[in-house]
Amino acid sequence: MGIPATYTEPELVSALRERNEQAYGYLYDNYSGALYSIVLQIVQNTELANDILQEVFVNIWRKIESYDPSRGRLFTWMLNITRNASIDTLRSKAYQNSQKNQGLPENVNITSQVTHTNIDNIGLSKILAKLKPEQRVLIELAYFKGYTHEEIAQIEDIPLGTVKTRIRNALLQLREYMQ
Amino acid sequence: MNVQEYILSGVVESYVLGLASTEERAEFERMCAAHSELRAAREAFELIVENQLLKQAIAPPAHIKSKIFADIDVENDQRQGKKLISLKQTPVLQTGWLRYVAAAAVILLVGSTILNFYFFSQYKVYINKYTELIASQNQMASVNQALQTKVLDYESTLNMIKDPAMAIVRMPSVPTSPSLGSETTVYWNTSSKDVYLLVNSLPKPASGKQYQLWAIVDGKPVDAGVFDIKDGVSLQKMKNIPQAQAFAITLEQKGGSATPTPEAMYVLGKVTG
Repeated sequence: MGIPATYTEPELVSALRERNEQAYGYLYDNYSGALYSIVLQIVQNTELANDILQEVFVNIWRKIESYDPSRGRLFTWMLNITRNASIDTLRSKAYQNSQKNQGLPENVNITSQVTHTNIDNIGLSKILAKLKPEQRVLIELAYFKGYTHEEIAQIEDIPLGTVKTRIRNALLQLREYMQ
Repeated sequence: MNVQEYILSGVVESYVLGLASTEERAEFERMCAAHSELRAAREAFELIVENQLLKQAIAPPAHIKSKIFADIDVENDQRQGKKLISLKQTPVLQTGWLRYVAAAAVILLVGSTILNFYFFSQYKVYINKYTELIASQNQMASVNQALQTKVLDYESTLNMIKDPAMAIVRMPSVPTSPSLGSETTVYWNTSSKDVYLLVNSLPKPASGKQYQLWAIVDGKPVDAGVFDIKDGVSLQKMKNIPQAQAFAITLEQKGGSATPTPEAMYVLGKVTG
């Protein structure tokens, strides 16, 4: 087998399924930084982010068979694995306990806490900063904190249907800014 | 809702970013299968996200890559191992320090298991020894206690005999005794008037019979109690007798008689002094 400098996505996927370490090295070199930025933005802790990134890439290696191209691109699949792993860590008991001394956030100050994270100049922050504050809060809670729509409805004290609509509008707005 | 409206509803973004509910996901995938324009819209947004994130990529620390590759090397070895075993081929030797670590771990595990078995068998041996020790210790304690009781018994007997107030009345067998050579001794405390009997030698009475001690007071027999022949040297306390000139023993019906049977007299002793 030759050593391609780049892979098309189907080539990459089939090489990964053969457990080709070179293809895997290519995957890591090209995508780890993008995924790492998301992990960092979610957990906001370098050591934790390092552990999660390691876990994510090992899982990508292990679970490559479960990637279904008909459902989306490889990167989208990896991004969702990454986000889920980060949020699982964030919401795990152990992590919450380690954060306990900071006190559990009250409904009111979740919002202020959320807007606070935007000071960090990492990941999507710059783009998120362009959103209206009320939209930004929803994206932060849903995408970066991993709250369900139902939880957000409770936290923000707005009807579930409104949460859904607002999040979709915020996402459409976000798309505009990313383009 | 037509496909265009569906595409513009935000569901594409919600699906790609993993924010859609299970039902929304299922519906979206159904719609994707049916509408190529929806698939195109999905892919377009996926590329937007992908490019955006690639643009803002943050390089992770270099050591993470080597850690990940060490992890997948181990997995690879395991996979290879499984494959080879399933093909019944000789496993190919693979390099990598982790193999040695794994081998060392296995050796340690086996060693630790053997040691565990060894310690457990030792433990069982010592538990048995310990149980034996406890049992023999208990036995010795009970023997010791029996001895102690005996010694105390002897001690109180000796103390009684040592008492200067104690009069000793030897009672040899009378010529008409059914058993010549019989002998008893009465220890009579002259101050408390307590009477103790020591059987030196008397034959065992037939069943239904019992020996009876008599005090002879002014020529008349006074009942001083019945007694049994006991093993060992011990004084038996009889009835309190205020005064007597002699003591005699006859064999009577069990429980004793009101008056003695003269021909059944075994021993007789006179009180001296």
